[in-house]
Amino acid sequence: MKSKAYDSESQSVDRNVIAELRDVSKSFGDVLAASDLNLSIGEGEFLSFLGPSGCGKTTVLRILAGFEVPTKGEVLLDGEVVNGLDAYNRPVNMVFQQYALFPHMTVTQNIGYGLRQRRPRLSKTQIVKKVTKALDVVQLGGFENRRIWEMSGGQQQRVALARAIINEPKLLLLDEPMAALDRKLRKEMQIELQNLQRQLGITFVLVTHDQEEALSMSDRICIMREGHIVQVGSPQELYDRPKSRYVADFVGTSNFFSGKITNLTENLVSVLLENGMSMQGILGGELTVGQDVCISIRPEQMRLHRQGDGLTVKVLNRIFLGEHTEYLVTHGTLGDFLVLSPRQSELNDVPFNRGDEGLVSWDSSIALILENN
Amino acid sequence: MTQQARNWLLLAPAGTLFLVMLIIPLTVVLIFSFGERAPSGGVVPAFTFEQYANLPARWTAFKNTMTLAPVGTLSALIIAYPLAYFLAVKVDSKWKTILLVMVIVPFWTSILIRSYAWIFLLGGRGIPMVLDWIGIEGVRLINTPFAVLMGIIYGYLPLMVFPIFVSLDRLDKQLLEASSDLGAKPWRTFLQVTLPLSIPGIATGCMLVFILLMGEYLIPALLGGGKVFFVGNALVDLFLQSRNWAYGSAVAVALIVVMLITITFYMRLIGRLGTSRDDVSIM
Ligand SMILES: Nc1ncnc2c1ncn2[C@@H]1O[C@H](COP(=O)(O)OP(=O)(O)OP(=O)(O)O)[C@@H](O)[C@H]1O
Ligand SMILES: [Mg+2]
Repeated sequence: MKSKAYDSESQSVDRNVIAELRDVSKSFGDVLAASDLNLSIGEGEFLSFLGPSGCGKTTVLRILAGFEVPTKGEVLLDGEVVNGLDAYNRPVNMVFQQYALFPHMTVTQNIGYGLRQRRPRLSKTQIVKKVTKALDVVQLGGFENRRIWEMSGGQQQRVALARAIINEPKLLLLDEPMAALDRKLRKEMQIELQNLQRQLGITFVLVTHDQEEALSMSDRICIMREGHIVQVGSPQELYDRPKSRYVADFVGTSNFFSGKITNLTENLVSVLLENGMSMQGILGGELTVGQDVCISIRPEQMRLHRQGDGLTVKVLNRIFLGEHTEYLVTHGTLGDFLVLSPRQSELNDVPFNRGDEGLVSWDSSIALILENN
Repeated sequence: MTQQARNWLLLAPAGTLFLVMLIIPLTVVLIFSFGERAPSGGVVPAFTFEQYANLPARWTAFKNTMTLAPVGTLSALIIAYPLAYFLAVKVDSKWKTILLVMVIVPFWTSILIRSYAWIFLLGGRGIPMVLDWIGIEGVRLINTPFAVLMGIIYGYLPLMVFPIFVSLDRLDKQLLEASSDLGAKPWRTFLQVTLPLSIPGIATGCMLVFILLMGEYLIPALLGGGKVFFVGNALVDLFLQSRNWAYGSAVAVALIVVMLITITFYMRLIGRLGTSRDDVSIM
């Protein structure tokens, strides 16, 4: 398989395709958990599935692992259709959300489990060598003969990781592996996981509903909604060029103003807002005159100042965030929205306080007109 | 009330029962076993080992008990395990309860009545007659060790199914997926994950059935027809018919000793098999 992996959505990456979904759907009774999914996963890539609870992320992973057979469509691994291939015959390993470590085995026995299933058999010394190395990679040297229940949550997660990577899978699937960890440990593990992925060169497919986690770790993110893939792209693409309000809302924070397109000229497009105001922006997708749209403007792309042109607003609230200060402001017709002011401009100017009046302005060329859904 | 006093209070009902129903009678039996038979039946206090010296006279009863109890336990296990596995792992959860109830339903009628059904089934006008029709003649089932074994398996099956069902039902199904994910074929997953993790259930089931079988007397009495009898039958005979309490007590003590020895070995074995913290080691 030497074909290029991606469609126009993510031109930037070009790798060999290791796994592919073609029109894959999966229904459980009347519930359509995955619907017409099309996706290529590149070799050595770190791909995340991001979406709210129940949108079908786990279902996709389970289809890739071989625990679920798709109702429709094809799953390809390394160029071959594997729809009917049992999980135990797939070169894919999974780190389960609850780790699913074997309680009747020691740490070493758990990690070596996959190797012991190999036929022809590996010699005992080979297994010991690989297990020792895997323990080293996840920094669990010295825990060899511990029982699973004698390990902390973070340590158990490492055991689960080692148990999976020792098999050198073509695809490593991780189902919210950090969900059970506290915030600090989660941050540490995120960094470790990223390093590990680079070091091993294994393709990682991560499921998460934590956008920060997805943004900081992934090469590409696949945003899901109610069983559909909404948009696939690098974190930056998704942040800068979301194709719908849903994505703009899910990745980062944004202010939305709903309305209809009145005029499609070459550069800037005019939108008549529901409240009667007219605003200009650039198209974030293929849209037509009269369509229901919204204008999305990120808080950090707005400026709050005292002099010059702008909309007159009143400051409702001020939250100091260190590098930034977040203002909740209100405008007569636009209503409430957020403005993020960088530390530097706060130092140069007298900061705004609650109740102060100010002017808000932005560059129309960054105001994105998006499908309003 | 202090914490300690409260603890004692909690223990009191069971403790009293234990003392009155177990410790005192056992002590009495032990004392009796060194006594002599009174001419009119009953016991005369003494200190003699005569009764114990006489034990070999009841060797057959011990032999039957010591073979049919383990064989019955094992047979029940072999039949119960697949059933429990099916109920716990394969059956859709909405059918589980119904099927489980069906396993217990036989318990609602007395073992006496159920054994009578077996007397008919195994007797001359039951299975042997059917075999006769299809050309297999002269098969005798009733009053054989086989008949007793059938009765035992039938009567004790639910007792074996339940603990195994519980341990398999509690088993995290994700462990089975994890095993499969790591490359184990289904039967290897069974041997390496399912079976070891259901050992607590197997151990409990076997223990329950075995202990109860060691004291069994009704099934051999009904289906063994005086030809296949257990120590339990010997005890009934000695205490109620021949009224030789001293000898009966010695037989009872011998049975308890045999049981204690067997169970000790059994626990050792299970302890070695069992590995995970929260299951076997509590036994
Ligand atoms: N075995 C099943 N039987 C019936 N419905 C199922 C089954 N598995 C998943 N579903 C349904 O499919 C949908 C997608 O479920 P899935 O577990 O993939 O969601 P998810 O995105 O992983 O959610 P979460 O973030 O909460 O884990 C849900 O509506 C769920 O109820
Ligand atoms: Mg999930």
